[in-house]
Amino acid sequence: MADQALAAQSAFSELKPVQSAALSIEVRDGLTIASIAAGKGKAADVRAVMQKAFGIDLPDRPLRVEGGGISVIWHGPDQWLAIAPRGAGDRDLESELAALLDGIAAVTDQSDGRAVVRLSGSCVRDVLAKGVPVDLHASAFASNGVAITHASHIGIVLWQIDETPTFEIALFRSFADSFAHWLAHASVEFTAG
Amino acid sequence: MRFNCPCCGERGAEEFVYHGDAAATRPDANSPTAMADFIAYTYERTNAAGVHRELWYHAAGCHLWLVVARNVMNHQIISVARARDVALAQTAQATCGAQSNGGT
Amino acid sequence: MPFQRHRMPVGGLIDRSRKIRFAFDGVNYAGYAGDTLASALLANGVKLTGRSFKYHRPRGIMSAGSEEPNALVELRTGAYREANTKATTIEIFEGLKASSQNRWPSLAFDVMAINSLLSPVFVAGFYYKTFMWPAALWEKLYEPLIRRAAGLGRASAQSDPDTYEKATAFCDVLVIGGGPAGLSAALQAGRSGARVLLADENATLGGRAIDDGADIDGLPAAQWVSSAITELASLKNVRVFKRTTVFGAYDGGTFGAVERVSDHLAKAPTGQPRQRLWHVVAKQSIVAAGATERPIVFANNDRPGVMLAGAVRTYINRYGVRPGQRAVVFANNDYAASTVASLNKAGVDVVALVDSRETPSEGVRAILNARGTRLISSAVISSVSGKLRVKGVTVRTADGRTETLACDLVAMSGGWTPNIQLTTHLGGKPVWLDAIGSFVPGKLPPGMSAAGAASGAMGLRDALESGLASGSAAARAAGFTPAASVVPRVENDSSAFAPLWRVDGGRGKAFVDMQNDVAVGDIELANREGFRSVEHLKRYTTLGMATDQGRTANVNALAIMAGLTGKPIPETGMTMARPPYTPVAIGAFAGHHRGKAFKATRRPPSYAWSKEQGAVFVETGLWLRPGFFPRAGETDWLQTVTREVNTVRNAVGVCDVSTLGKIDVQGRDAAAFLDKLYMNGMKSLAIGRARYGCMLREDGMLMDDGTVARLGENHYVVTTTTANAVKVSQHMELCQQWLWPELDVQMISATEQWAQYAVAGPKSRGLLQRVADPAFDISDAAFPYMQSGVISVLGGIKARLFRLSFSGERAYEIAVPARFGDALIRRLMEAGKDLGVCAYGTEALGVMRIEKGHISGPELNGTTTPHDVGLSGMVSTKKDFIGRVLGGRPGLIDPDRPALVGLRPVDRTERLRSGAHFLGRHASATAGNDEGHMTSVAYSPSLGHWIGLGLLKRGPQRTGEIVRAYDPVRSGDTLVEVVAPCFIDTAGERLRG
Repeated sequence: MADQALAAQSAFSELKPVQSAALSIEVRDGLTIASIAAGKGKAADVRAVMQKAFGIDLPDRPLRVEGGGISVIWHGPDQWLAIAPRGAGDRDLESELAALLDGIAAVTDQSDGRAVVRLSGSCVRDVLAKGVPVDLHASAFASNGVAITHASHIGIVLWQIDETPTFEIALFRSFADSFAHWLAHASVEFTAG
Repeated sequence: MRFNCPCCGERGAEEFVYHGDAAATRPDANSPTAMADFIAYTYERTNAAGVHRELWYHAAGCHLWLVVARNVMNHQIISVARARDVALAQTAQATCGAQSNGGT
Repeated sequence: MPFQRHRMPVGGLIDRSRKIRFAFDGVNYAGYAGDTLASALLANGVKLTGRSFKYHRPRGIMSAGSEEPNALVELRTGAYREANTKATTIEIFEGLKASSQNRWPSLAFDVMAINSLLSPVFVAGFYYKTFMWPAALWEKLYEPLIRRAAGLGRASAQSDPDTYEKATAFCDVLVIGGGPAGLSAALQAGRSGARVLLADENATLGGRAIDDGADIDGLPAAQWVSSAITELASLKNVRVFKRTTVFGAYDGGTFGAVERVSDHLAKAPTGQPRQRLWHVVAKQSIVAAGATERPIVFANNDRPGVMLAGAVRTYINRYGVRPGQRAVVFANNDYAASTVASLNKAGVDVVALVDSRETPSEGVRAILNARGTRLISSAVISSVSGKLRVKGVTVRTADGRTETLACDLVAMSGGWTPNIQLTTHLGGKPVWLDAIGSFVPGKLPPGMSAAGAASGAMGLRDALESGLASGSAAARAAGFTPAASVVPRVENDSSAFAPLWRVDGGRGKAFVDMQNDVAVGDIELANREGFRSVEHLKRYTTLGMATDQGRTANVNALAIMAGLTGKPIPETGMTMARPPYTPVAIGAFAGHHRGKAFKATRRPPSYAWSKEQGAVFVETGLWLRPGFFPRAGETDWLQTVTREVNTVRNAVGVCDVSTLGKIDVQGRDAAAFLDKLYMNGMKSLAIGRARYGCMLREDGMLMDDGTVARLGENHYVVTTTTANAVKVSQHMELCQQWLWPELDVQMISATEQWAQYAVAGPKSRGLLQRVADPAFDISDAAFPYMQSGVISVLGGIKARLFRLSFSGERAYEIAVPARFGDALIRRLMEAGKDLGVCAYGTEALGVMRIEKGHISGPELNGTTTPHDVGLSGMVSTKKDFIGRVLGGRPGLIDPDRPALVGLRPVDRTERLRSGAHFLGRHASATAGNDEGHMTSVAYSPSLGHWIGLGLLKRGPQRTGEIVRAYDPVRSGDTLVEVVAPCFIDTAGERLRG
């Protein structure tokens, strides 16, 4: 069947990667993403299962946790996004988590619904300020903080990875090119010349 | 305007969608007065000049419905609460009330 | 012309080592870096800069800041040309080109100055009076005439070649204005560790401390300013925005500001915008925006060479420019002292100080005495002589004697008006302060304070003190602990003032609002005609309605009207402002959102492939969907759409339907929840089956339709229409969170996860069998109409298959993870070649649904009920659901309501048009005879003629009747026959296979 396998297409057809100390922009393809929504009254059970399986405490505030080979992004009350590289083994978090959380949470595949881009460097906050109306200053936003908001009117989930700072942004796939167009505009002063 | 979303923190009004009055509770469709009740529920508003309790949706954020007390005279936001919590508390209160009224 | 002959040999903050060449009205000049166009023109002796709005009176430079009403010019050329820019705020750059406005053929000789002679015609309200009759001439004659005669600069009429951007900034304390008060406030708050944002509209900070040439801590103010700037720059928590105007205050501590990033440069540096619009979110704000000097209202007070006294000081102290050779100072306040001192310093001959008061204070007299300068007290300037520039003034003393003084500069000061605009944007009412003859901020919005001259603290020491105090208070309110403040050693200059609102009896017009050419006579006329309230005065005379919102005019006008009506000024009205404080380019508001980026677009998974095929796209909400796929040789869209429809009806077609909203609904109460949302039952839906469903609004009207598929006991997938996906999702969240929070339901949007294609036509199963993995049986027995299931395709790619049909043919919808969407459509096209497969777009989709009588957007228009569109049979009577009760209102179930029918032209060659209204065959075309309208039409390739769907009164009972489809807008009047709303395969045999 190998000859029949379909080629995967990146959500971003127009995003130009950038690589400098001031700013780097990189598409994060090849992720497996699943949303977890705890059943009514089952949040504690979901937390316990996830603690046991991955050694992580699911956040109840807009924060990101990492451990046991996955990272989990707060995504609303009793809702999370679990993310991991699909990797050579073609990992599929939906089926993995659905089995673990059967009966206590709704698990839905979002691997293709979301396009993810990583931004890093000393000028990232200045770039993001041109579209993201959230205070990302170190005194206001945790180094593992999460925000569900918008960038230039495009809905996003944003999370901070480290204090470089590095951020990742997930957006609905169909907006990827409009987002890339905005990002190019917002970052041109740091990439020009 | 800025709303202090109980989940996301303070955000600008552009992230929120206004729905309408949060004062009314959906009537019982099987009541003999259902038609009049639903007409009141859907259409009748006092539109007072002062504080309104309104439903707002954090559309560009956590997708939570919020009950916002807002002074429509000056856009002052008095309180923001999760609609789910407000609704559950109202139900609890109504149940409590019914029990104590009918208590034997 | 001698080079900068009016430049002082030393002084000012300009950089004399950098000569800048520029041109005004085609003449080349030079100035220095740090000059504004106004200061550079004055340095070169240019006083005449433009013609006025209505009377074409010669005008010059009156002020030195953003309040300038007169010196408006066209800046730059070609597409870059910008009208009505203030010469007083433009920083010169190498090669700058500016030209005067509103004159022809030249500035010195302007034909339209004849308007001045016609001035009796152009008085207040002239629009309403002069051109009343005959009305027919208004558009053709009067308006073009007025437009040509009056007006200011010309827009370039070309697309704006500059780039703009928008950004958000957060701070604990926003300080608006970088004069002495603002700098003190920013320092005090910044030292406490608070995040401070200091914005000043000018290129350099310091404000009037520099303009007035004062000393602070025993040093020239400029040194104090520069050390303050150095300290601010050393604080990491402080950001200083120069050339940035905070133009509006909005609710919740938000502000609009525009940063002129590159306006002072010949060309924006690579990567930099021309301007950046800031949305500032501040916990606390301090308005330290200073004050604006008022002109005095006397005859010919608009002549070039009549300037505000404070501006004269600015040109001398900031720019090292002598604005004239022989000056008369005219004032009603003690600032005259520093004006005379500055003129002395610049070597300008001060002919006299004309003071309206009996006795100016000691300080003023001391400065006059030092040089033996003449004081004429209890006196006024009653008029100015000279036309293109001041030649002299007539001075009148209290006893009525007059005297003429020769001069080329009048430095006038009627007192100062605090810049309180930002404190009134949210409705804050200012209060009158007699001591300064102006309004000061009243009750301020939460988190806002005012400092310095903006708050009425006019003296330098008071300004510094109030700045420090506001800075401390704001930092404390934002949660920081400020240190005790130390006020620099400085004395207050005397701000003693006695009102003088107008000077009567001079020959010539005495202007109140220079930019809109409103003279004192216009206010008198308004009073005589009863337009006395400030709102009427404004609209009748246009006072304060120019681009400067009457910054130099409003208080004088109020005072003059108060004098006419005998009422106190605060009772006459007050000066409330709206954003923006100064005009902001529309481009700045648009930012990046122009052209292609006007709004975001959403691309379906087949976008790239469709583009390769030459598809013509249509916008559905934000989505770009292929409308149709023209092929070589096809001459119009109808030909293409006809081919696509025929292909689906006879072979197989593929259409990207990924844009439909897809919501995953899970939980133990999922079924019960959906039963409350849909008008038909969903609990009874078997696992593996799908059902068409409609949601109503609570008022009983149809909201949306789609399919519901049950994947498991507690797992459904519902689809919404493309257009309503967001609305429905929001509605479902409301139901779950607010109406029925006790239910156990989880909803997740999965719209974007799946690339979903409709595969439709008699050969659709054959095509699908070529991609579905063989383990899955999709025969009609195993996979009948309305079946749904999880399968895999092409060797293990997970997929969802639904047997649904919008076209009326045997059809499926196949969904794969979106990253495979592009590859799948390529594979389907390749695999179906021998079957004659083609892609079809939304046009063919629309044609086929009309042929089948399926409702869509034009029928789901917010005013239709299930009954109206023939779906009353679907409405459950066994359960409560949203819209059930109100949907039963008598008016909504009235059989007389327009209801869905099919229509075809009696003459089959005629085309139909949607939007046509139905009339009885012999009824006249009046609104009373209206019987509904045509909602959707299409040319039916299957039938070979036009068909339509419509909502017709008692429609379903009128089959066979002939009615008029009347469309006066497009001259349509067609006889149509009423038929059942289904034109193809009425028994539905094809879709079941």
